[in-house]
Amino acid sequence: MNKKILSNVLFYIAVVLIALVVLFPFLWMLSSSFKTQVDIISWPPKLFFEPTLANYRKVFEEQDFLKYFINSTIVGGFAVALSLLLGLPAAYSIARFAQKKLAVFILLARLMPGISFLMPWYIIFSRLDLMDSYVALVLSHMLIALPIVVWIMSSYFEAIPRELEESAMVDGATRQHAFLAIILPLSGPGIITATTLSFIFSWNNFMFSQVLSMEKTKTLPIAVYNFLSYAEVDWGGVMAAAVAIMAPAIALTMIFQKYVVKGLTMGAVKG
Amino acid sequence: MRKILVTSVAVLSSLCISGGAMAQAKSGEIRVLLANHPYGELIKQSIPQFEKQSGIKVNVESLQESQLTQKLTTEFATKSSTVDVFMTRPLQEGKMFAKNGWYAPLTAYDFADYPKNIMGAASFGGKPYIVPLVTEWQVLYYRKDLLQQAGIKVPTNFTELEAAAQKLNSEAVAGIASRGKGAAAVTQLSSYVYNYGGQYLDKGTAVFDSKAAVDALRFYGKLLGTYGPKGVTSMSWENIMPLFQAGKVAMWTDASVFLGQIIDPSKTQVPVENFGIANFPAGPKTNAPFIVSSWGMSVAQQSKKKDLAMKFLDWATSKEMAIKGMVGNITMARSSVWSDEVVLSKINPGLIETRTFAAKNGTPVDRPYMSAVGEARDLIGELIIESINTKGTSANLEKMAKDKVNQVNGLLKDTGEYGK
Amino acid sequence: MSQSSFTERNLPVLFPLPAVIFIALLMVFPVLYTLFLSFTNWNLTSGMPAKIVGFDSYLRVLTEPRFLDAVARTFYFTVFAVIIEVVLGVTIALILNRAFVGKSIAKLLLLLPLVATPVAVGIVFNLFYDPTIGLANFVLSSLGLPQGHWISSDSTVIPSLILVDVWQWTPMITLIVLAGLASLSDEPVEAARVDGASEWQILRYVTIPMVMPVILTAMILRLIDALKTFDIIFAMTGGGPGYASETLNIMGFKYSFEYFRMGQSAVVLVALFLIVFMCSLAIMKARASAEN
Repeated sequence: MNKKILSNVLFYIAVVLIALVVLFPFLWMLSSSFKTQVDIISWPPKLFFEPTLANYRKVFEEQDFLKYFINSTIVGGFAVALSLLLGLPAAYSIARFAQKKLAVFILLARLMPGISFLMPWYIIFSRLDLMDSYVALVLSHMLIALPIVVWIMSSYFEAIPRELEESAMVDGATRQHAFLAIILPLSGPGIITATTLSFIFSWNNFMFSQVLSMEKTKTLPIAVYNFLSYAEVDWGGVMAAAVAIMAPAIALTMIFQKYVVKGLTMGAVKG
Repeated sequence: MRKILVTSVAVLSSLCISGGAMAQAKSGEIRVLLANHPYGELIKQSIPQFEKQSGIKVNVESLQESQLTQKLTTEFATKSSTVDVFMTRPLQEGKMFAKNGWYAPLTAYDFADYPKNIMGAASFGGKPYIVPLVTEWQVLYYRKDLLQQAGIKVPTNFTELEAAAQKLNSEAVAGIASRGKGAAAVTQLSSYVYNYGGQYLDKGTAVFDSKAAVDALRFYGKLLGTYGPKGVTSMSWENIMPLFQAGKVAMWTDASVFLGQIIDPSKTQVPVENFGIANFPAGPKTNAPFIVSSWGMSVAQQSKKKDLAMKFLDWATSKEMAIKGMVGNITMARSSVWSDEVVLSKINPGLIETRTFAAKNGTPVDRPYMSAVGEARDLIGELIIESINTKGTSANLEKMAKDKVNQVNGLLKDTGEYGK
Repeated sequence: MSQSSFTERNLPVLFPLPAVIFIALLMVFPVLYTLFLSFTNWNLTSGMPAKIVGFDSYLRVLTEPRFLDAVARTFYFTVFAVIIEVVLGVTIALILNRAFVGKSIAKLLLLLPLVATPVAVGIVFNLFYDPTIGLANFVLSSLGLPQGHWISSDSTVIPSLILVDVWQWTPMITLIVLAGLASLSDEPVEAARVDGASEWQILRYVTIPMVMPVILTAMILRLIDALKTFDIIFAMTGGGPGYASETLNIMGFKYSFEYFRMGQSAVVLVALFLIVFMCSLAIMKARASAEN
């Protein structure tokens, strides 16, 4: 009995330790974002300090983060919507017609290093006069979102019994109609998973926007990075910017926790 | 499904059209690219005024300096640019842009108010292409109070500089700081090299493996490796400034432009009156710190609205704007603002004094002046890091310097600049 | 009716077609274009028009020590990061694999690093590692240990970057393995217990072999992403000090967008592409044979 209690105590200590390690950078970022520059660079680091909102004011008033916020949302939103448009039929086809090769082809986009498309994109988009346009950014971010949509949705469709659309087709419906009228309405949870995950990955993407966006369409990760090189290192401001960029992704994760876990683990567990 | 396809095509093409329309400028409209720089900010703030005066609509973008180079280069190289006017770094981009024919010649501009030695870097083949905006020179920033406590005078030569760094160095305060981050440090090392009697390039050939240059490298490495802040090899000015303002650095050699920011009372923990600025100390050979035109402004050769672009250029480089800049402690390139008593009374006297010295004795270049300057800076940066890591004692340094010289010469040959 | 039957007959082609066209345009074509560029000497700094030079750019880049170092560094970073993540991740998953109060909160916490923006994570760790004001050195010195240089020294920069990667991605391995453990049936474990096997034996001979395919898949996913790591390195060190943390990805970026040596940068990109491609292929093959 004593041994059991002891092992329980040890177990909870382990859990708390793991949680602390995971949480620590977040807590520290959050607390630094409320510190003045003077408090941040004081040594030893201050645990107690008078919190200030000045850093957030700087981020949203002087740096126009709201605009970058909107840009990130537009780019992520369109990229995800269009990826669903292209990806759902493709995923259905892969699931129902066992198109393994096709699945691998689309997954290639997930495997390949983004930087090997970046330079040609830069050249092509410049020629087409699409630099710093939402079009270029949305297209590039679709290359992030589409493979996620196809990957998640094809496993999802596979799990839906074929009898459902087959019985509809016996009743005279075409397959495409059955897909739209029967399968898609059943796919809500899968679509939520795919949407949340692909939006978060688009939201966090740095490399594509770093090259393809400029002042007008600059997305949040670039704004945060530029904030670092803009002037002397203003740690408080940078930390506030980091909080601002992570907050929406974390909020989405909390709301759709179940779906996000499913999406991240789905393909792997299925084997 | 067809419907879906049609919709997606429609959405995509409407996006394209709106994107295209946004990029396409109407007449009476120009596109201007500025740098994230105090003077760029000043121009940006004043643009509404210009728009009202001239009736020209200005689409302005501000970019961080390396992104600005990146954007200009690729836009110009792919011949897709709609840029009309842009800020440019004469010593960084000048050669490459001029050689590619990306600058429009400014034959009609009146350059009488600009110092001759600075116009050298703004002209190519005898024709001016860049209007210099800002001048910077190397100085020594120091903490008056710390020097006084230690009972030392402001160092005037390298021997005194090292002795002072040693005396001021403690666990809490680094004796001296200067940039150590490879490529970023190259411009700051230049004054040390000149004062030892060396150079980066001579007549289109890399010569920084000379004894003088290597000695300077060793001295720089010894200073920073021994008395510099921890982690100095990953520090550029952005990292040093907060340390200096937090009182963790006693002396700092860097460009004159930072004075205004250093003494910004909202950012510093050290009382402002404790910061001093002095001439860069003399080396064993001479005292010829860099004084360069760090930023200029040009009109794009591809611009289809050169007349409007010229109007903007005239305004942005006017004496009135230069005076506004001077009042904000931005050290402008125009000569006349430096003899205007009213203006001078408003700026820091340390700036006037050090400028006078540098203008008379300085060297008008602070980096290897060539097309592939970015890569050359990385190569020299390796030497700087090696020297700092070994506190200047690296037995390899000569050999490494030879190696890097060969590589830089290779770059010069690639671009047809070798020996010219 | 005839039209709709055409649609229906060709559904397996029509449904995926838009996605395939999209990927062909945005991925395949650019990759081919990069391949073409790698045979030219296009160099924006020279001001001369590009020429096709055969394998010249390959010869030059592939023999450069900087390139070989970058290849080695890419593997150094990847191998260590992935091994640590898998070992830690699986261990944590095994610890957490039981019902306990607060399990769903624990799982939520594990999700957070995965969705945190890598660039911002890099910047936060930059402050953490700062030798003068950072917490890392404070912790070391309060433990009475000598202070480190972290990302500002050649020898510690890659381990410091690996640490960030481990913090961010170990939870992914944990979550995947946890899900894998949950999907296992209890029977083999119960049978082993009835046969008198110790907990350790059950773990070693029953549980781990059963989740092995899941662990391997998680490892593949991580391996591919680790090879391509860009954001945290770019934001934290930009490849520095010197080239001490320059991986192929960073080198490719610098060659294209800082040196403007387009032809040679294309060679670096082709090399990276091939490495990622070969690694993915090799592991997929290995996994397929492990499953059979």
